[in-house]
Parts: sequence; C-alpha cells; structure tokens
Amino acid sequence: MTGLLPGLVYIFLFPGFVFLVMYALFFEFIDRKITARMQNRVGPPFVQPFADFIKMLGKEVIDVEGVDRKVFDAAPVVALAAVMTAFLYIPVFMSSPFGFQGDLILVLYLLTIPTVILFLLGWMSRNIFSSIGGIRVITQMFIYEVPFFLALLTPALMAGTWSISEIVQWQQQNLWLMFLQPIGFIVALIGLQAKLERPPFDIPEAETEIVAGPWTELTGRRLALMHLVKDVSLVTGSALVAALFLGGPVLPWVITPFWLGMIAGFGLFVVKTLAVLLVLSSIKVATGRIRIDQLNTIGWKYIASAALFQVAIVLIINYRWVSP
Amino acid sequence: MPEVTVPIGPHHPALKEPVNFKVIADGEKIVRLELDLSYSHRGIEKAAEQRDFIRVLPLLERVCGICSHSHSTVFVKGIEEIMQVEIPPRAQYIRTIIAELERMHSHLLWLGVAAHEIGFNTLFMWTWRDRELVQDTLEEMSGNRVHYGMNEVGGVRCDLAPHQVSAALERLPFLEERIHQYTDMVNDQQTMLLRFKGVGKLSREEVLNYGAVGPTARASGVDYDVRRDDPYLAYADVPWNVVTDTNGDVYGRTCVRIGELHESVNIVRYCLENIPEGPVRINAPKIAPDGEIMSRYEAPRGELVHFIRTNGTNKVERIDIRTPTLANWTSVAMCLVNKNLADIPVIVAAIDPCLSCTSRITLINTPGGKPGIITFDELRKRRQISDKGRGLP
Amino acid sequence: MSVLVEMFRNLLTMPSTILYPGERVPIPDKFRGRIAVSDEICIGCSKCSLVCSVQCISMVDSPREIRFKDKILLRKKKPAVKLFKCIRCGLCERHCPTGAIYLKNELSDSGTDKEVIAA
Repeated sequence: MTGLLPGLVYIFLFPGFVFLVMYALFFEFIDRKITARMQNRVGPPFVQPFADFIKMLGKEVIDVEGVDRKVFDAAPVVALAAVMTAFLYIPVFMSSPFGFQGDLILVLYLLTIPTVILFLLGWMSRNIFSSIGGIRVITQMFIYEVPFFLALLTPALMAGTWSISEIVQWQQQNLWLMFLQPIGFIVALIGLQAKLERPPFDIPEAETEIVAGPWTELTGRRLALMHLVKDVSLVTGSALVAALFLGGPVLPWVITPFWLGMIAGFGLFVVKTLAVLLVLSSIKVATGRIRIDQLNTIGWKYIASAALFQVAIVLIINYRWVSP
Repeated sequence: MPEVTVPIGPHHPALKEPVNFKVIADGEKIVRLELDLSYSHRGIEKAAEQRDFIRVLPLLERVCGICSHSHSTVFVKGIEEIMQVEIPPRAQYIRTIIAELERMHSHLLWLGVAAHEIGFNTLFMWTWRDRELVQDTLEEMSGNRVHYGMNEVGGVRCDLAPHQVSAALERLPFLEERIHQYTDMVNDQQTMLLRFKGVGKLSREEVLNYGAVGPTARASGVDYDVRRDDPYLAYADVPWNVVTDTNGDVYGRTCVRIGELHESVNIVRYCLENIPEGPVRINAPKIAPDGEIMSRYEAPRGELVHFIRTNGTNKVERIDIRTPTLANWTSVAMCLVNKNLADIPVIVAAIDPCLSCTSRITLINTPGGKPGIITFDELRKRRQISDKGRGLP
Repeated sequence: MSVLVEMFRNLLTMPSTILYPGERVPIPDKFRGRIAVSDEICIGCSKCSLVCSVQCISMVDSPREIRFKDKILLRKKKPAVKLFKCIRCGLCERHCPTGAIYLKNELSDSGTDKEVIAA
C-alpha cells in the first residue's frame, strides 16, 4: 500500500478509526449478549452499546473539586489514541502496511498505556475509592504484565522475527502457534483477561468493594471514551492473540484474485477474534473475582512460571533443531 | 502507606442497606472499623402497639421483606400461647410449608448475593432464576410473592387447594436437582473456594461468646436450632436434621445454607404429602389476657425473638423484636479486623444481614448543638446557600 | 465443571427472563391485586374499614337508599378505597361477610394516581 490516500483510508476508515469504533461496539454487544445468554438472560438489543455510547457522550461532565480538568479531559483521549494506534499494526485482512521489525514490542507498549492512564485517573480523582482502585490497577499491572509479555514474545522467538505480520506469514508455512505453544496461548489469554480487567481479574473496579475504582469520578464523555478504550482494547487484544497464535487473517493457500483473498482474510479475522472473545467471555462468566493478594500468588507462582517454562521450551527447540 | 478511611455505606453498591462502616485501612488491610447501625429507625414496635391483633399482622409482616412470614408467625404463635388456643393441625402444616418455602427462597437469595459480592454474577443470576420457582409456589399458595399474609390469630387465612399442592409437589424435584447442582458448584468453583475458604473464620468459642445465631453459629459447629430444640408448628412431626458444619468460615456458612435448602425441600415435601384434613382456623378470642411471652422462631437468618406483653386488651402493651442480624453483628465486627479490604462485602454478606429490620434506636449525634426541627422551607434555604457556596446556579 | 456445563447449556436454551411490557407472566388465581367493590351485595357493614391495616377504606354515602313516602329512611354506606394507600394485605376480603369487597386477580400498574378511589 503506497501513497498517501490509501494510507489515510487505512488509518481513518478501514480498518482504522471508523471501522474500529464500530467493531469495538459490536464486540461489546457480542460480549454482553454471550454473557447474558450464558446467565440465562435475554441480554441487550443490538444497538444498545451504540446508544449507550452516544448517550454518554451527551451527558453532563462533572468536574471533581480540585482536579486538573485539562489532564482529566485529555487522559481518555490519549488512552484511546494509544490503543487505536496499536490496532494499525495488527494484520486485519492482510499484512499490516505499517508493519516493521519490532512492531510487536510497540503494540505491547501501546496496549499498556490505557492501564497507566487508568491509574492516573484514579490517582487524580481525589476520591478514596478511586485511589485504592488506581493502586490496584498498577499492582495488578506489575503482576500480569511479565507473563503476558513473555507469552506474547515466544511466538516471536519461534518465528525468529519481531514483526507481527511476519509471524503470521511464518504460521502460514508452519502450524498455528496455538498448537506449537499451548502453554503460551493459555497464559496469553489469561494475561489478556487480566489486562482488560475482566473477571476474575476485575479487582481494580471491584463494584462491591470500591464502587467503581478509578472509574468512580468519570462522567459524561470521559466515561464514554474510557468505555470505548476498553472495547477497543478488547478488539486489539483479541486480534493480537488471533494473529500471534491462531494464524491471523491469512489462509494457508493463495487465493487468486487479490480482492477475494482480502475478503477471505477479513472473514477469518472476524471469525478468529470472535472465537477469542467467546473464550474470554466464558472465563468472565465462569469465575468470580479473586483478591489482589491471591492474584499476586497465582500470578508470580504459576502464571509467570508457566510463561518462563514456555520460553525455555522454545529456546531449547530453537537451539536443538532450528539454529544449527 | 498511611491509614485511610474508607466509608462503606449507607450509599454503596456492596451493601444496599442502611449501615455505615468507617473502615480504617492500611493499604488493603483493615486496621479497625467503626460501625453505625441505625440509619433507618422505623418505629415499628411503637406502631405495633397501636393496632389490634388483626391489623397488626400486615405491619409485622413488613418488618422484613424476606422473612415476612417469620415475623408474623412468631407473633401469632406468642399470642396464641397467651390466649391458650390450640390451632388446627392443618393450619400448623400450612404455616410450616410457607415457612420452609420462605427459608428456601431466602437461602437461594443469599447464595446469589454472596456470589455477587465476590463478583461471580453468573451464580447470582442462576440462583435468582431458580428462586422464582419458590416464589411462584408461594404466590400460588398465598396470593403474593413476598408478603404472604397467611397468618392470623387462630390459624391461617386461606386453605391450600389440591391443585396447589400438586403444583408445588411437581416443582420440588426440579428444585432439588438445582440445589444439588449448587452443591457441586460451590465445591468445585475455584474462585469461590478461594474467596470463601478461611474468610471470616469464627471458632465455636467465639460464636458462643458473641452470641451468634442461625447458620452463622451452625457453621462453627454450634448444634442449635430452635426448630428442633423448642419445636413449634409441625416440626416435631417431620423427620429432618439440623445441618452443622465445622469450617466456621464463609464456606462453612454456604455449606450450611445449601444443606438447609435440601432439608427444606424434604420438609416441604413431607408436609405437602402428609397434610392433615380439617379446618384451617378457629375463632380465636379478640382479646388476650394479661401475659408476657418470649416467642422464639428459627427464621432463615437465625433465631428470631419477639417479646410480647399483653394487658387484657385487643392490643399488645409492648412488643420487642430481636432480629437475628442484631445477634450476629458483633461476630461480624470481630472477624473483620486485620482482614483484607476486599473481604468486607463477603464477610458482611455471610450473615445475611437485614439491617432495616434491626434498627431499634436512633442516635442523634449533636456535638455542641441542640436538636431541633427543620422545616422544609428552611431546608431549601440551606440548600440554596450551599449551592451558592459551591458556585452552582 | 458443573458451572461450564450449565453455562453452555444455557447458551443453547431460551433465556428465562422476559421482555416485560411485551410479554407478561401468568398471574395465579389467588393473586392479591387491585381492590374492587361490588355494590350490589355490599350491605354497608363497614367491617372492612375497621380491619383495614392502613386505614385506606372509608365509608361514603351510596346512592342506594331506603325511602318511605319521599322520605329517606336510611341511606346505605359503601366503602371507598384509596388505591394509593392500599397495601393489598387482603384483610378486608377476609373479613367481609358477603364477599362484596375483594382483590382482583390483576396486576395494577405502578404509579397509581393518589386520588383514585375504587368504589
């Protein structure tokens, strides 16, 4: 994809800004619907996430006394920009045109920004619930970030490249990494669940303990944007896992007309991200919330060890069979 | 981290109850806590003294939204004892059926709430779905889902028709299967075990010291149940067991409640199958002689006590209601100290608190001020001044 | 494990909640709903107003009267119920000697007007 116009279309229309927002809200709908049906409820109608988003954009923004308004306004926008940028490097219907060696690291870095922003929002809110929530956000980040990163970097180790698009192409020639690295895949899913702060890792916004954690003082468009950030993170995370472990949007054989291949690739993207979402929603439905000290134990004792174990296996395989 | 005060309640998503905890926490650890109980003193006891025995029952039913039958039964039981009237056995059985159905719906509700407090909303939805079955049965039998209005002095207000009995019996096997499923879920759902086991532990000695009652006490191995130790209604005829547990923590209380669900299903089935024929009420006198009685009852949450004094009129002279929540509060406050902040909701929920029923006193805290009456206009004026101070229009 | 089984079974079955205004649950016969008075059999004994636990029933003059040669000998009373105050305890129905006052088997809407009086 060369030239300015296709690049702008990629960023703003498809699969960038406009498509991403729509897809994120659609994702939220699917997530809520699956959750509702598993809980034997009817669930929201299709337009509910869109209506919520638009409604919340129009609501009054209430400023907390003594809070720096500008930073409070800017924080959700920065978080949204970060996750949206991260999505541009993930293959959607073909290899990302912006991909470069090392974009995996960039995506992981950009995905961390919303968490830090959430901590900042909680800390700035001058509210005891928000402050505790903010501390919990950052504590939880230190717990899941290490195994999550290790799990997502093992595909790079195995494929011998730091570019997501190239890892996808590597899977085209070999097996899906889900089968080659099952432990890494499971750790990645758990880490993604923790990153998105969904049960059992919704500790920072534990409703029954600290009201809404860092979200307590968010109102109006700030709240709408932060919800959107969460949805977009869900899409980006699912797409990342789908690309790294499920072979991404590339078919193992080549389809002759270019546009048909693109449509098939996009279809694969939708199917695979929805599959990841189904797993994430099932985890959400099947578990309660654990305590932060229990998460600390589980995270460092088991999940981090599992991720390290996976890295060790990959390194041994690389050393024994691949490199010589 | 310095100590911070975390206010929990009266407006808090965890406890939709008029109670205030001032939790002084050091990071995630609770250092100490201050309790403020009486936010909604409703003056029900005084109001009950103004009404005759017919009109007081709808009021007493509304002491609690969950154990409404408990409050009316314990009162009616006491009054009947003072009047020395023997109510027909069919009425006893019907009261027992309603009481056990009420226990079932209360325990199912509690299981859902406890799951909700640890963020496990799925179980909350499922138990409340199955609770609907019990509520439907109650609605068919009595005409209402919550305030059944079944009791009156001298019997029950309406009889059970044969089709109601058979409809209730049809629902029981399904309900039993669901309860079995909950037993499995509680025992193999990892997050629930993590959050319930070892949390809010009370030893047998502590329970006896703090005077906890009901499932809270039975979970710590105190084998005490009013239904067996001081039988009333039809409990003496029905074969059933007191469920106890030795864990003493929230998990133990869950086990006790699920065990009681099983027992309740069996009691309801036995009563429905063996319900004697006959009248459902007798004409009781309108006036009770002089007397005092301490009427006890095993409500879903524990031992419920009504102290009733009559003075030869058609009204009570004094009624004092001791709800099980009041008996359990001390134990909660004790087992919260040095625990994790995240454990507050589940420990508090574990006793199945019902605070509006409990509030008996009003504390008016006016340091340096005088109590007075504020009119609505004055209140509005104050609001305007405060708005101006905050720069609002 | 039982949680997972139940979850996926629910995914395949219909939800058990309903969309309220469109669908309604059946109401049992005994249901204590909106109060109603049938004037024909009411004898005006005012027992209902005496037992009413919230005192929402008051006795008002009814158009039925006993006349003798253009003179009203007796004007019957009939109960008037302030529906807003009524808690549907059913005491009036229980104590009515003729069954003239009864609770209908229908779910009345919330937000009943304060002034509505059933008669």
